[in-house]
Amino acid sequence: MNTTFSFNRLVLMLKRYFIENKNKEIMYWGILILVFTLMHKAETAKSILYIMGFIFAAKQFKIFAYTPGGMHYLLIPATHLEKLISNILLTTVYFFTMMVIVYSIGNIVGTSLYNLIFSHSDPVTWEFFNSANTHSFGNSFDLIQGNAFFSMIVTFLTIQSIFMLGSVYFKRGALGRTWLTLFAFTILIGIIELFILKGLFGGMSTIRNMNSINIMSDSSTTITMIENGFKIFSYLLIPYLWLVTYFRLTEKQV
Amino acid sequence: MIDINNVDFSYSRHTKLLSGLSLQLEAGRIHGLLGKNGEGKSTLLKLISGLDFPSKGKIEVMGLNPLKRQPELLVEIFFLPEELPQLNLSIENYEKVYSPFYPNFSLEQFNQYLKEFEIESKTDMLNKLSHGQKKKVMIAFGLATNTKLLLMDEPTNGLDIPSKGQFRRMVASGLSDDRCLLISTHQVHDLDSLIDNIIIMDGHEIVFNQTIENIAAKLIFKVSDRKEQDDSVIYSEDTLRGLYQVCENRTSTESKVDIELLFNAIFANKNRIKQLFQ
Repeated sequence: MNTTFSFNRLVLMLKRYFIENKNKEIMYWGILILVFTLMHKAETAKSILYIMGFIFAAKQFKIFAYTPGGMHYLLIPATHLEKLISNILLTTVYFFTMMVIVYSIGNIVGTSLYNLIFSHSDPVTWEFFNSANTHSFGNSFDLIQGNAFFSMIVTFLTIQSIFMLGSVYFKRGALGRTWLTLFAFTILIGIIELFILKGLFGGMSTIRNMNSINIMSDSSTTITMIENGFKIFSYLLIPYLWLVTYFRLTEKQV
Repeated sequence: MIDINNVDFSYSRHTKLLSGLSLQLEAGRIHGLLGKNGEGKSTLLKLISGLDFPSKGKIEVMGLNPLKRQPELLVEIFFLPEELPQLNLSIENYEKVYSPFYPNFSLEQFNQYLKEFEIESKTDMLNKLSHGQKKKVMIAFGLATNTKLLLMDEPTNGLDIPSKGQFRRMVASGLSDDRCLLISTHQVHDLDSLIDNIIIMDGHEIVFNQTIENIAAKLIFKVSDRKEQDDSVIYSEDTLRGLYQVCENRTSTESKVDIELLFNAIFANKNRIKQLFQ
């Protein structure tokens, strides 16, 4: 018996999820098709991807909220790695693929209905997948430039990994508690960032006089370093969070 | 099969639930784990299955460390908890989802056990069944997995009277030489004539661990009409049906072990019983 990883057991873990949640999944994706039929703008689709994504990720280890459920899950004869990978696949590959499918269906149906009702002949647009546009969500990942679609995937994966860790870390109310932790973490990062900027650019008045365009267009080595450092950090953050989730799962007691 | 050495466990820093606990259990037996509420019976089962981790000491199950929760060990453990998980599955789908994880699972046995428990429809949803019905399905599944270690926490809670008899028959028939069953309960009558090794916990430690044969060889369980004052009496209980007594077996007389009486005798006269079995 392979004690580290078995593809067969991984498939069984995924099969287990789909059989147990078949009805919920059908209902959930059905509702989303309806939503995308009515609203299929790229920004709406992306917002739904992130919001529904973190809700979905935060529920991955919800089974631990009820002790007998947690016991049952931990005693399933599969390794922690297989359990984790099955959850990663569900929160990322499966969720994203389903989002793309339901968005496409909603987009086609919505545009067709709009053309039919209002006698228009608008073509179906695929803004959601448009990688030429600059990705802007007012978040820190705007720094990842060049490919908006890729940037969206990175943001999505980061969100999913954060909330999946939250769902295994917090026994109850994982969604709310993860948000609270993120809030506290953001404030902490903000304070650290302020100190760094103060150290780099001098007093607070200098920082206040600068705007983001100045910083972004500055080609100085320091800014490039910060930018590259942030890129590396954002890419490494995802596997790091998965790793932490794995260790949390191995030490989970019920 | 199970080797527990000097294990400490606590849920909080200030109160120790188990302290220096040691226990060895063999295969081919049905072990009954008895004790008052809160003594740590369920915790002990969780420690054996790797659901909780000891703060000190070592546990080995079939030569493996349960803390690692390796599949090679998990395929040989089935744990029936007192409270059951909420599963949104039909009996049929439960079998379809979970049986492939257990290489020795027998569908024939599962169907047979369900039939014995008079569960006719496998399309019934588990979360729509009563607690007792759900427990029957889990017992049937657990026995059908043919795992080497079967842990049951209060398995008869929620079962109706005929089902308790069926449970005893099924468990007895499910035992084999390489299989170890550990049943934790405080409903001692439900395990009457089923268990062949009695383990009693008191003060968060094992105070008694003896086979039924050994107990029968050293103790006599009898009902007397009047109080016998001889020094062989270890414990007596005055009831409407007579005077129930636990006495030292000095004459090698055979008697049926009354688990409840033994349990009370141990709590009333722990030291004497300890001495007798040393």
